[in-house]
Amino acid sequence: MADTPAIQTDALVKRYGRGGTTALKGLDLSVAMGEVFGFLGPNGAGKSTTIRILLDLIRPTSGSVRVLGVDPRSSHELRGKLGYLAGDFVVNGRQTGRELLTYLGDLRGGVPAQRIDQLASSLDLDLTKRIGSLSKGNRQKLGVVQAFMHRPPLLVLDEPTSGLDPFLQQQFVELVREAADNGQTVFMSSHVMSEVQQTCDRVGIIRAGELVTVEHIDDLRKRALRKIEVRFGADAPLLEGIAGVTDVVADGKVLRCKLSGDADALVKAVAQHHVVDLISEEPELEELFFTYYRHGEA
Amino acid sequence: MRVFMKSLRDNRRGWIGWTLALTAIAAMYASFYPSINNPAMADALNSFPQGLKEAFHMEDYTKPENYFAVSVFGLLVPILVAVFAISAGVKAIAGDEEAGTLDLVQAHPVSRISLALQRFSAILSALLAVAAVMCLVVIALRGPGQFTALSPGHILAICFQLALFGLLFAALAYGVGAWTGRRVYAIAAGAAVAVLGYLGDSFFTQIDGLKWTEKFSPFDWYLGGEPLKNGVQWGHAGLLVGLAVLFVALGTWRYNRRDIAV
Repeated sequence: MADTPAIQTDALVKRYGRGGTTALKGLDLSVAMGEVFGFLGPNGAGKSTTIRILLDLIRPTSGSVRVLGVDPRSSHELRGKLGYLAGDFVVNGRQTGRELLTYLGDLRGGVPAQRIDQLASSLDLDLTKRIGSLSKGNRQKLGVVQAFMHRPPLLVLDEPTSGLDPFLQQQFVELVREAADNGQTVFMSSHVMSEVQQTCDRVGIIRAGELVTVEHIDDLRKRALRKIEVRFGADAPLLEGIAGVTDVVADGKVLRCKLSGDADALVKAVAQHHVVDLISEEPELEELFFTYYRHGEA
Repeated sequence: MRVFMKSLRDNRRGWIGWTLALTAIAAMYASFYPSINNPAMADALNSFPQGLKEAFHMEDYTKPENYFAVSVFGLLVPILVAVFAISAGVKAIAGDEEAGTLDLVQAHPVSRISLALQRFSAILSALLAVAAVMCLVVIALRGPGQFTALSPGHILAICFQLALFGLLFAALAYGVGAWTGRRVYAIAAGAAVAVLGYLGDSFFTQIDGLKWTEKFSPFDWYLGGEPLKNGVQWGHAGLLVGLAVLFVALGTWRYNRRDIAV
């Protein structure tokens, strides 16, 4: 089982209706067991379509899909091993949180009430209130609880933290890390770069129904542009032709530029001058993603 | 069974409300019977034009089996049962799907077919409950309402056929909703059959050349064999059940194969 991928799709195509839009154009994706995989892309790129195919809520037009080694179409029992959370978590509001969670737990063959209570209290969620009277954020917390409560081997999360405030996003990150430590696989689409950076091992970027790239988050970070600011004792020298350095602007004693990759060449170039201060900002993955989103190739 | 129980629980208020309202209407009409059963009323009714009487199935109104077939079980009750059945059938799949709440449950380890059939079974139990409560209350009113001439067995027969009549509409609305995932189609199909069926059983029969429409009306399958006089009409009952099974099977088959809408 160890080498069975948690998720494997081959040439997955999804067309909606006859002559309708093609949401996926041959997606090849492989997510290993125990991995935390970030699935990123602009709206309408096919993220939710992929996720809904994994849960057998919709069926692919062609291509194959295996989840934990099983075709989702072939067995509804597979979904017992999955936890699913959609960004817009909607349920009938005329029931309490506990009623809903008990019902969903029962559909899964029962989840200990203690586990539900513990998750709810860690998220500061009141289960006795009618869901209709809860705020959007609190409703989303219910969604988080139902996805995590049975400790599924595979979590499939579709923009899970939309509507959560930054504090709760941080708690969510903790939950994902806990799940990962526990050996659970997490497949997560997200727009929140900080949570992707904090949780994911690898990210796949999808654009217009095709996978543009899959990379380790560390590799991405290395290639991401860093903003550099160097303050000199005298007027800033004009540095040109240094490997990895672009957008050089000299403003009095301050030099600003962008750096990608190795900083060695830049440091050695400025070292010939009197350097008062040197600031290197944490790489912004967001910007790198934007370039992928727009152009496909960075 | 979890989905079945949850369906009952989620709908308990509405379904209990419908049961009480429908029973109250039937009881109200039943308790009017003593005021109909007198010579002055008989004369007044006999002066109605023949065509109108036929359209409303009002011949010899003072006999309880005729009065009950027209008033208690004839007009408002079956129409409201159809409305109830259609609304419940629409909600089972299409309503839940359009509300966006079907996704979550179907992301759980319950198969499409099992979920759909459990939900439909809950509707079936509700219809049987409505018919049973109505039946018991009408039977209990036989003494006070002075219609002991009506046998409990015949009252049971008409209530049974009423339940099957409701079942047909529930199955139709459920089936169209499960097939398409769209509430409006399910409501439109149910309403169209109810209205055409009603006209086919009443006014169309007044037009020469349209008399045949009666044979295709669910209202005829429910009341046409006069279960209050003749007991359960098994042919009609079979027709109602057979079509209901067909609609449920088709809708469920398609639901199992199609995409669930977001």
